[in-house]
Amino acid sequence: MARVTLEHVTKRYEDIVAVDDMNLEIEDGEFVCLVGPSGCGKSTTMETIAGLTKPTEGTVRIGDADVTTLPPKDRGVSMVFQNIALFPHMDVYDNISFGLRLRDYDKEEIDRRVDRAADIVQLEGMLDREPNELSGGQQQRVAIARAIVREPAVFLMDEPLANLDAKLRVHMRTELQRLHKQLDTTIIYVTHDQAEAMTMSDRIAVINDGRLQQIAPPLTCYNEPANLFVAGFIGSPSMNFVNGDLANDGLRTDHYDLEFDPAAFPLEGIDEVTAGIRPEDIYLERNTESVVDPSATIEATTDVLEPMGDEIFVYLSLDGSSAEMMTSDEASTASNQLLMSVDPDETIEADQQVSIVLDRSKVHLFDAASGEAITHGVADESVHEAPTADAEGGATEVESGGQRD
Amino acid sequence: MSDSDDPFEPRRPGTDPERESDGRGYLSVDEIPETAPARELDWATRLANATPSLPRLLKYAIAITVAVLWIVPFLGLFMASLRPLNEIIQGWWHLEGMTLTLENYQQAWTYRTAPMRRALINTLIVTVPAVLVVMLLGAMAAYPFARFEFPLKTTLFFLILLVMAAPPELVAMGNYNTLREVGLFDTYMGLILVHIGWGLGWVVLFLRNYLLGIPKELEEAARIDGASRYQIFRTIILPLSTPALVSVAVIQFTWVWNAFFFPLVFMRSPELYLAPQVLPLMRGRIQVEWGLVAAGSVMTMIVPVLLFLTLERYYKQGMVAAVTD
Repeated sequence: MARVTLEHVTKRYEDIVAVDDMNLEIEDGEFVCLVGPSGCGKSTTMETIAGLTKPTEGTVRIGDADVTTLPPKDRGVSMVFQNIALFPHMDVYDNISFGLRLRDYDKEEIDRRVDRAADIVQLEGMLDREPNELSGGQQQRVAIARAIVREPAVFLMDEPLANLDAKLRVHMRTELQRLHKQLDTTIIYVTHDQAEAMTMSDRIAVINDGRLQQIAPPLTCYNEPANLFVAGFIGSPSMNFVNGDLANDGLRTDHYDLEFDPAAFPLEGIDEVTAGIRPEDIYLERNTESVVDPSATIEATTDVLEPMGDEIFVYLSLDGSSAEMMTSDEASTASNQLLMSVDPDETIEADQQVSIVLDRSKVHLFDAASGEAITHGVADESVHEAPTADAEGGATEVESGGQRD
Repeated sequence: MSDSDDPFEPRRPGTDPERESDGRGYLSVDEIPETAPARELDWATRLANATPSLPRLLKYAIAITVAVLWIVPFLGLFMASLRPLNEIIQGWWHLEGMTLTLENYQQAWTYRTAPMRRALINTLIVTVPAVLVVMLLGAMAAYPFARFEFPLKTTLFFLILLVMAAPPELVAMGNYNTLREVGLFDTYMGLILVHIGWGLGWVVLFLRNYLLGIPKELEEAARIDGASRYQIFRTIILPLSTPALVSVAVIQFTWVWNAFFFPLVFMRSPELYLAPQVLPLMRGRIQVEWGLVAAGSVMTMIVPVLLFLTLERYYKQGMVAAVTD
């Protein structure tokens, strides 16, 4: 068990920078997910921790030791790969015991450890099977057993569930959490699936373009995103964004105004502001009583409905135009579109005039130029203590955790 | 988590929970009928189904013609090896009054100037090391070309390919002089070395292509588990390359075994002659001893054929994997 520290780690390939000045501090026994879109550098970050790639600059520490130049075998790490990577010519026992046999453990010790690892991942009675006789889930268990049998200090997992079918994936998530509780080992987990990151990890490290965007507990990333990227990446469907100009009494956007007191927030030197609001923080006006701090009413037309069963996603048009030709990402950033989530019992139809309000305590403001978060919640501070205090707590959290450039 | 819902538990046939819902699950053992179900068809329909169409017939005809063209010389050789000379001279295809005899084989086996028995042993002495060493060296050279980055990698690989393009006659002169100078001329060691050098080019190319198809993650997994480069090569790469190595063995064995030119140039002493060299000596003085030559040829040929038949399954796997990449 050990903490893992990355200090100013940069990895350059010939013409691209895969990891750019990454600083990460992962506590002993913590379960951290590295998440980001494809090609964002999360796998390269993991490879530098594993020792499969040497960083161009910077230091990697595991425990107190500087392991930057050590080969993988001397780092006390083990890894589970996306394509499982079982040795096809060895049976399950030989696969699990491979690392132990290389280290010349005696036979009894190997047997004892293999049995224990097989027990933990529930593979009893399958030790003499060949990998191709196992199902996908069983193969992944063998890979995990191979990793835990060496009792590593740090466990690295590179999208281990990506090749499994959806049902199995959800099941394995719970399994991995159970495993983490049982082993109490530091786990670093790479995924592009934010659902995996949200459900399993103690903290999420959001990475984009080789840079760390934010590292914080899942709900902090969700409720108090450090910048526009995190706000848009975490949460599905994505947050609604709209650009606007600051005025004395709030924010003016193309289709509606948002009232708040700009003086309450650190807005000096910022010309253009992006406001963000999640679909579940937009309400129909008739339900306003449940909203702590509603904005002024906004008139809109419903466009497309997406009933999900437990909620309905409603695409709203603010100027009568249709979002049909847009992807949900485009719609989330178009100034004339809003995506709202409503209760499934709500009577709502397509092409209907509706009045909506935004929950002002859940409106996020970002500096449009830099993308940095300014505030989470524009509710009036004097009236509503609680949400603003939250937002401030979040801001400090962001500053302490979000090690951006 | 209920038992039936655990996706990791292998289900016993006949207890598949899906069976109830859609009726398409496994049958339990008792319910399996004795005979396979057959479609009810009358003879006319069956005949019509079995009769090939005209384009298909044409394809068959072409395929059969090509096959016959290939097999006829071999048949002739085989017949000639089993019949006395006077019958062969009238044409091996005349079947009336055919005498089958093994006398040709006996004579060839103990032919006075160059007995086939000794020639086959000589060939084996040259072929086995030439094949084994090429397999090992080839794999060791192919692995870096498939996996490592090193200076001049492309240039070196190109040079190897260039050697493959050269005709054997071209390298014969240089090798002849070299072997003379180092005192390996007219020795098996010299001939083996020439075969190894000559074979390495294509073996490296072939094995490199095969190794590229082995997932990188397997090696990374082994590295993280603590394997050194050499251990990875020995415990992961070599075992996984078995099909390709078998292909290499079969092809290289056939090539070295049947090689005529290199032994002709580099071997002088008659007692060291290899089988392909001995065959032309069996012609006889006054009259060509077709029966002897044929029997000798069949004996020479049978060894690579047997090897191929034994290893055919692996050979095909290796060829497919190395070529499809």
